[in-house]
Amino acid sequence: MEIVVCVKQVADPEAIVEVTPDGGLQVEDRWVTGFFDEVAVEQALQLRDRLGGRVTAVTVGTGKATDALRRAIAMGANRAIQVDDPLATELDGVGVARALAAVVQAEGADLVLCGKASMDAEAGVVGPALAALLGWPHASEVVALELAEDATSLTSARVVEGGRRSERCALPALIAAGKGLAEPRVPPVTGVMKAMRAPIDRRSLADLGVEVGPPTWTTRSHAPPTERGGVTMVEGDFPANVHALVGALRDEGVL
Amino acid sequence: MDFRFTEEQEFFRSQVRDVVDRLILPRSEEIDEQEEFPQDLWDEFAQLGFLGLRHPEAYGGLDVDTTTSMIFFEELARGSNGFSMAVTVQMLMGTYFIARFGSEEVKQRCLVPAITGEKIAAICFTEDQSGSDLGGTRTTATRDGDGWIINGTKQWVTNGPVASFATVLATTDPSKGMRGLDFFLVELDREGAAQGQLLKKLGSRGSITGELVFDNVRVPADCFLGDEVGNGVKHTTDILNEVRVMTGLNACAIAKQAMDDAKEYANKRVAFGRPISKYQLIAAKFGKFYAQYEAARTLLYRVAWMIEEGMPCQREAMSAKYFATEMCLEAVDEVTRIYGGGAFAREYPAQRYFRDARFLLYGGGTHEVLLNYLGKLYLKE
Repeated sequence: MEIVVCVKQVADPEAIVEVTPDGGLQVEDRWVTGFFDEVAVEQALQLRDRLGGRVTAVTVGTGKATDALRRAIAMGANRAIQVDDPLATELDGVGVARALAAVVQAEGADLVLCGKASMDAEAGVVGPALAALLGWPHASEVVALELAEDATSLTSARVVEGGRRSERCALPALIAAGKGLAEPRVPPVTGVMKAMRAPIDRRSLADLGVEVGPPTWTTRSHAPPTERGGVTMVEGDFPANVHALVGALRDEGVL
Repeated sequence: MDFRFTEEQEFFRSQVRDVVDRLILPRSEEIDEQEEFPQDLWDEFAQLGFLGLRHPEAYGGLDVDTTTSMIFFEELARGSNGFSMAVTVQMLMGTYFIARFGSEEVKQRCLVPAITGEKIAAICFTEDQSGSDLGGTRTTATRDGDGWIINGTKQWVTNGPVASFATVLATTDPSKGMRGLDFFLVELDREGAAQGQLLKKLGSRGSITGELVFDNVRVPADCFLGDEVGNGVKHTTDILNEVRVMTGLNACAIAKQAMDDAKEYANKRVAFGRPISKYQLIAAKFGKFYAQYEAARTLLYRVAWMIEEGMPCQREAMSAKYFATEMCLEAVDEVTRIYGGGAFAREYPAQRYFRDARFLLYGGGTHEVLLNYLGKLYLKE
């Protein structure tokens, strides 16, 4: 079975992020592989170990993006492909999905796994967009996955309000991993050493025939207030407390 | 000159950091409080394969370069200095002479299980009247047929109370002083070997330290760990350079972790209407630390590079270890001042860094011995 796992190197959740005066983001130089992406890698490795085949990690990005691929190899992935192009930083979620779709089609994958969302933008767009571009069925926020013995279909489960929803679909398919699908392993040092020396298959957007044309753009960014005001408890019974709350919000200029 | 780490080394650091963040840091307080050997953590850590970083692949190791191994030691010490000491003794001093001079049988018996973590290693230098002064060693090794008889008591043995075997420094000819010293492998289940008193320490409490007693312990010929009798101290110098760089990087890690914690505290703690980090006297502490920390790390990684290149660097290693450790001692002291009275309570880790840092003064030679030696060398030039 050919499994492709999409991974992304993101700012460490503990990194200091500041909004600059021009509305940009200044992020401390600390990076990790997205947690949900690691869950996806772990699930892919477990499936490969049970059914045979190969796991290929893929990322779109330059510079530190390579570390997400090395992390996947350290965990046990067989190979890595990087869409390494200066223009990649200009891609939005759909653009990234286009680049990934080109790789997946070239590799002839049976199954694509990715995280339910990246840990930075957290838009959750890439997985569903990639499935749509490939014309494949997909399930997102998946917490349990079973492949049929003949590897022609899968059953996935995700948490919905009030319970779990199970869905069955034919392969090829795309699964976006949620928390609980698998517990990412800590890579052994032999894996780390292998990853340090592993060749990375680098491809440009031109190689893949992908054009950059971002359909979304940022008009303005706002920093959250650095200091919060005091808390006022609105006392009294309904509806007097509601009137008091509305009055207080008007006084503050919120309404 | 190129002072950059390679892309691969940077990746290696990030992976070790992740292991430390996940496995060790969450337990650093508990390790210090309990003052016991954290066997479960040891087992979990050993499974990841780091214990063989410096040893040949033929025995299950990875044989990485000096700089990469130093990156590992630096990151490890950030998690828990006590646990780090237990690991570094296993990886460096406790197995060095076995890997270098041990017979194939000895390597299979001790080195291979040390790399997997099944057996714990120790090295014994210190006695009641000798430490940095190795010439004062009174433990004896006497020829007995084709074997040796070991007699003596060793103190301050890191990992001693939980070790399976120890590399023991003993005098084979007391009349020759430093030129009559050699190393021997003593497996601690041999008759006459005993684990003595456990030492209660101020800091570095995740590594267990104690006495080892050797009462007429007979060891076979292949437990002599050397090329020729009398060369023990000469071979010590080879590993001491690495030990000193490792110790210096431990110092850098403790200081950095302490200062990072203090930075967070200083940004939150408000006095006289603003965070204390806004006061110049507090900010200057961070500034001075940063300057000294950068200098120390640059010195240490330079020596790591010299070791890798096979260049003589005893003097540079001593200097770097001294400078880094003194930097750390000053930094952890300043951190306690940033916390004020809070540092005197066990609530914050500032007191743990303060205690742990003291342990670094002694490994690889006390600073008094190092400075005396460095001074004499300079005066001779």
